[in-house]
Amino acid sequence: MFRFDPYSPAVDADPFPFYKTLRDDHPCFWSEEANMWVLSRYDDIVTALNDWETYSSAKGNLMDEMPNRAGNTLGTTDPPRHDRLRSIVQFAFTKKAVEGLTEPVRASANRALDAVQGEKTFDFVSDVSSKVTVDVLFGLFNLPRENERMVRDKAVLMVQSDPRTRQKGPEHLAAFQWMSEYAKELVELRKREPGDDLITALIQAEVAGEKLADREVQMTITTLIMAGIESLSGFLAMFALNLADHADARRRLAANPALIPDAIEESLRFNTSAQRFRRCLQKDVELHGQTMRAGDFVCLAYGSGNRDERRFANAHLYDIDRKPKGHLGFGGGVHACLGTAFARLAARVACEEFLKRVPEFVRVQDQLPWMPSTTFRSPTRLELAVG
Amino acid sequence: MAKVTFIEHDGLEQVVDIPTGWTLMQGAVQSGVAGIEGECGGSCACATCHCYVDEALVDSLPPPSETEEEMLGCTASERRSNSRLSCQIRVSDALDGIVVRLPETQS
Repeated sequence: MFRFDPYSPAVDADPFPFYKTLRDDHPCFWSEEANMWVLSRYDDIVTALNDWETYSSAKGNLMDEMPNRAGNTLGTTDPPRHDRLRSIVQFAFTKKAVEGLTEPVRASANRALDAVQGEKTFDFVSDVSSKVTVDVLFGLFNLPRENERMVRDKAVLMVQSDPRTRQKGPEHLAAFQWMSEYAKELVELRKREPGDDLITALIQAEVAGEKLADREVQMTITTLIMAGIESLSGFLAMFALNLADHADARRRLAANPALIPDAIEESLRFNTSAQRFRRCLQKDVELHGQTMRAGDFVCLAYGSGNRDERRFANAHLYDIDRKPKGHLGFGGGVHACLGTAFARLAARVACEEFLKRVPEFVRVQDQLPWMPSTTFRSPTRLELAVG
Repeated sequence: MAKVTFIEHDGLEQVVDIPTGWTLMQGAVQSGVAGIEGECGGSCACATCHCYVDEALVDSLPPPSETEEEMLGCTASERRSNSRLSCQIRVSDALDGIVVRLPETQS
């Protein structure tokens, strides 16, 4: 009998064959291991994303939610409160607002690449993608430049879960707790010394005449750090992996960097790090002969919708000429990723610099070590050999 | 389900069936309507799904939210009285037959 266990290391390593069976044979599947329904077809996911009244985020959006997070962040509230909160945060992430980050990202990428100059092999994750994302995010939020390494390690740990117990382990919860405390200290710091930054804006903002609760400010910052560091770094690693595995595409990008944005969109579709999020049903829904009940959780498998042959022809092929409009790499609907403009810009600039310095590279590892996570997917190390 | 006619800036017409509950942007993108980009995924954060809604129907739509109003100030093409972001318009049977014109450029 077919099973889909998002905690299983086999799904971490390669979810795509499972997704295909889900889409073709079980488009509305009850996963006992995850204790939720799984929607895997593009159309069903888009329909759910556009219907927040039915598919609510207020009970959490991560496959394994963290304690006391739901209801306190953008991703875990529904409109109208969500919309007010989002309008406060969004101004910092518009295309115009992030344009100023082009040169800081470039400088940051070059610092990381300087450090591996002359090396025959290096780990793209620890030597490049983590360094660049942490560096840029600290600049974006104007965070004190201490603890950089610690913040990165905790951000990566807090999104993981334990494959044996099928829940978050003590080390993952401790990482989340650490990040919450870190965010709390940042809030206290900015209350004492307000600045021209996002944290200060959140503290001073009002939603429907009320200031945000400290917990909301804290959890929103925690989430932005998690998404900014873990999610962007994970995407960069997947992008580098695709370019290692598809030498023709890489050479075209190196010869013509104007193609890089198209390759980014295709990577977002093909295998982006944000694979699965969840919603909670507010009423009974009939779908593909199944009845999902109010109160049930539903996994929206973006990574599967992005490989749905009903939407994308030859979906299993990495094709930088595809221009896959409407992909689910950033989710969609009211909760679509806040950082799309920032992520696209950072990925483009980092890729431009990387290919200038390292146009030819191959993967060293045959098998990659994958992060144990029910929500995100990226390798914990990606060793590349130059030349 | 509603039949929606998208008219590109150059006059090209496309009639698209969009399921109830989807947004105009999702329907357009799904059907390959070139003049809608929808870069932000539908969260009202980029103004690249700008459209001009049928004058006759524009007042019957729920009015733009504060965020949409703000983003309509950032469109790449001229904002008109019937300008909307297509990611903020959810399809219902009432929109059947609506005509949506697309601007010259989205970004």
